[in-house]
Amino acid sequence: MKYFKLPDLGEGLSEAEIVEWHVKVGDTLKEDQLMVSVETAKAIVDVPSPQAGVVAGLFGEAGDVIHTGEPLVEYEGENDDSGTVVGDLSLSDHSQNNAQDDFIVGSAHSNNLQSIKATPSVRALAKRLNVEIDHIKGTGQDARITGEDVEKAAQLDQQRGQSEPLKGVRKSMAKAMIQSHSEVVPVTLHDDVDVHLWDKQQDITMRLVHAIAYACEQEPALNVWFDGKQLSRRLLNKVDLGIAVDTEKGLFVPVLRDIQNRSLENLRLGLNDLRGAVKSRKIPPKEMQGASITLSNFGTLAGKYANPIVVPPMVCILGAGGIRDEVIAFEGKACVHPILPLSLTFDHRAVTGGEGARFLKALMDDLAKADTE
Amino acid sequence: MANQLNSKTDAEVVESVLLEAVNLALHYEMAHDESVVVLGEDVGTNGGVFRATAGLKDEFGFKRVMDTPLAEALISGLAVGMATQGLKPVAEIQFMGFIFPAFEHLFCHAARMRNRTRGRMTCPMVLRAPFGGGIHAPEHHSESTEALIAHTPGIRVVIPSSPIRAYGLLLAAIRDPDPVVFLEPKRIYRGAKQNIINNGEALPLDTCFTLREGKDITLISWGASIMETLQAADALAEKGISAEVIDVATIKPLDMHTMLTSVARTGRCIIIHEAVRSFGVGAEIAAQISEKCFLNLLAPVQRVAGFDTHMPYFKNENFYLPNTQDILAAAKKCFSE
Repeated sequence: MKYFKLPDLGEGLSEAEIVEWHVKVGDTLKEDQLMVSVETAKAIVDVPSPQAGVVAGLFGEAGDVIHTGEPLVEYEGENDDSGTVVGDLSLSDHSQNNAQDDFIVGSAHSNNLQSIKATPSVRALAKRLNVEIDHIKGTGQDARITGEDVEKAAQLDQQRGQSEPLKGVRKSMAKAMIQSHSEVVPVTLHDDVDVHLWDKQQDITMRLVHAIAYACEQEPALNVWFDGKQLSRRLLNKVDLGIAVDTEKGLFVPVLRDIQNRSLENLRLGLNDLRGAVKSRKIPPKEMQGASITLSNFGTLAGKYANPIVVPPMVCILGAGGIRDEVIAFEGKACVHPILPLSLTFDHRAVTGGEGARFLKALMDDLAKADTE
Repeated sequence: MANQLNSKTDAEVVESVLLEAVNLALHYEMAHDESVVVLGEDVGTNGGVFRATAGLKDEFGFKRVMDTPLAEALISGLAVGMATQGLKPVAEIQFMGFIFPAFEHLFCHAARMRNRTRGRMTCPMVLRAPFGGGIHAPEHHSESTEALIAHTPGIRVVIPSSPIRAYGLLLAAIRDPDPVVFLEPKRIYRGAKQNIINNGEALPLDTCFTLREGKDITLISWGASIMETLQAADALAEKGISAEVIDVATIKPLDMHTMLTSVARTGRCIIIHEAVRSFGVGAEIAAQISEKCFLNLLAPVQRVAGFDTHMPYFKNENFYLPNTQDILAAAKKCFSE
């Protein structure tokens, strides 16, 4: 044996760290002489020499991690006779030894499938006319797709309506939703708030803003930015509320800053300004960045419950449906009360179920009050 | 070589590098066919400069394992004579760069014997030669001139790219009734080891081997460049591109069926070879693909090859040899719209 490789130390461990060498280059070893101590995930193991011989080289120093099958010790004098030729034949990389060599004689079976047949000029035509060539049935020789086929397909396609690339906020929305769908692990809680104590004059949006500020105080774990790559969360000191605003051009989410420390009147004015800026398309991008939590008050349009989508790095979004009169059990009787349906989504990577439910409870407690005083 | 028995066939299983696989096949065939003889420079007493023929003379004697003078014309001339008179010579040209004096007998006689005699005589000889660069050897030791031989009708050109294929294809080459030039990629002579079942089972000649199945692009190569090609396939896989890898193995005659059916499906193709680019085997394959897969092609066929110059001295060898990055750059061209 020329090279002694780190043997399998059992229990499926694939690597070990060198703790201490007990031999050095040039030492003459007896069989079973202690060579090296290595530490696996489980224990320190002493590795003996499998044969007598002279040490020609040691691979690695104390602290190095060696994988099973990698060389540990080189013995002298056992070089294979590699010939008398000029030039160096490189020896195989040890990890490659006994390399798998699976091959198919001749053609792969999956090659029976044939791809589309079309000349390069016809393919270029299809590209220019924005036609998916895969969907065209060829009418030419050997079912090849002709220029006429492509033009016909393009005409048919036009009759169905034009496709248009997404732009601006619509494009941003698509990207944010894709990111959310691929990263976030959402949980949505639904519940109803009985708001029969409210007088008619309540500003629903401001009640929701107030409730969110209150809930963030009670349960700060949802006013958080979460970094899924580093697996870290940042508890934020201020609550900056993103408010979804629907427009013909798409979905805008301007940010109402620091909702815990401003009066509701001041916040209402701020929100009106933001909405105005969105409507007139004059909102600067920075006014739509840095939200710590989101509110989607879709109830003004339609809808009861939803599964609102969390947009990273935020971990929470509240959806509010429309207030409606419902028959509910109240103090042992069937009564008709106004009911506000809520849908709270949180990212379960960052937030526990308990935190989510406590947050929702705080929201509901605040919303159930007669007013915000 | 660590030997053990294969439980199913009772055949010996031998862990071998490509070089040892050549040696193993020679041992097997000499033991099972008395008409097989080996000749060449240093093949007997020395066992071959790379040790490809080591042990043969001890086992089969000097009458079957012959050291020749340093004269390649003599080696191939002797082989033609032996082959037409009932022996199966396996002659070694020490390096492919020394093969030129042997061409006279190879091209003018071995290649024509069947045609000249209207099929009454054949020439069952094998000319083995290590070929290709990458071992820091001096001039004349690193050429890849397989296209010269492939251009001449009547000669098979076979190039293995793994120990298992070296074993199976060399046996097939020796048993073939016509002349075969068997080129051994010496850069991977001592590459990865494989377990070879030493049962004398040959692999078919005149067929490609599909090493990886893929659907987006077909990578075609042979010899030592298969290593870079497989690495490129791995790198492409990381980018979500599924590459089919085909080892041509028999350079002449080409198994175009396998290559054409693959490219007809993937629509993209890169041919990778170490030999100079112009007038090479890659050009022939590219031409046939362009003719027969024209309607399926999504991009022009690319070639990644050596430069049109002599193999440089060894310090510049790595600049000459096609590497994985070159293949990936060609792949990028195939996928750019």
